Amino acid sequence: MNVQLADAREHLLARARREGLETVGYRVVDSPLGPLWIAVGPKGVLAIHYGGEPSAAELARIVRTYGPGLLPDARRVDPVARELDQYFGGTRRRFDIAVDLTPLTEFQRRILSATARVAFGEVSTYAKVATQAGSERASRAAGQALGANPIPIVVPCHRILASDGTLGGYAGGLDAKRRLLGLERREVPAGGWPKRS
Amino acid sequence: MCEMADLLTFGALLERHEKEIFAYALRLVGDRDDADDVYQETFLAAFRAWPPPRRGQERAWLYRIATNKVIDRARRRKHLVRMSDLRLAAPERDGVSLADLAAAIKVLPEGQRAAFVLRKVEGLAYAEVAQALECSEDAARQRVAEAMKKVREAMR
Repeated sequence: MNVQLADAREHLLARARREGLETVGYRVVDSPLGPLWIAVGPKGVLAIHYGGEPSAAELARIVRTYGPGLLPDARRVDPVARELDQYFGGTRRRFDIAVDLTPLTEFQRRILSATARVAFGEVSTYAKVATQAGSERASRAAGQALGANPIPIVVPCHRILASDGTLGGYAGGLDAKRRLLGLERREVPAGGWPKRS
Repeated sequence: MCEMADLLTFGALLERHEKEIFAYALRLVGDRDDADDVYQETFLAAFRAWPPPRRGQERAWLYRIATNKVIDRARRRKHLVRMSDLRLAAPERDGVSLADLAAAIKVLPEGQRAAFVLRKVEGLAYAEVAQALECSEDAARQRVAEAMKKVREAMR
């Protein structure tokens, strides 16, 4: 984008923000795990999507909640990008940015809230998270909710493993899950952890 | 799940069309600051009027808004009141006769200039030119043809 157009866009975004036309700002940031599409709404970060653009389902979820006012707004995403940089750089163990789970179901919110309580460097299981969320028999549903976690890394679903100690699944791919756990624990074997005896 | 058409967002519209709308504004008003204003006003008007009136024809809709914004600005400034009076920057194409071409376009009568710029410089389809200028497709074709004839004559 040339300088004139970049300036014009900045002016446009400032006016759109002032008029309340921009409900959600988004931006693609680079990370050690590849590009991340990040969206920030009025209550906090709404989405961190692996890849340069959101899935249709992700976009639909945001538009249903906040309407079509999504605009490319680096300034609004900068605080999230900064904390992610610090996390990947090893200088941040806990995220301070607000997260917005509004567009999710009550069950998803409970599962993700329980997941958010698993601290840096620790791990838990789908079954434990389901129990902490008040649905002890719903470990499979918990796995599905975590698979659809719209705010990975910040809501650390990579810290949740299968009950047998293996990695389970991850929306960003198991290699990304291994790398995140490796960043936090520095001890992950290539195939995940062995089954517990 | 929403239909894909329902997923059109302000950002998608902006990222798809902002470059050409800015260039169009610049060609019509000939000044970067004014083009910046027209670009802003065009997209703000589109966001305020959301959703676009016809799915799949957002581009022509934006050109229509931008054209109207340029005319509105000219009227507000009073020294420019008609489409034929709008200043026009030279199209950003290489060629030895750019200045001549710009001069030839500049003297085109009302309607023909905008039709010529939309079709020959911005590359819109005739249906889109018609929508942008709020006229029939036949009228758009006729305006472009007449403009072409006059430009060719002027450049002989």
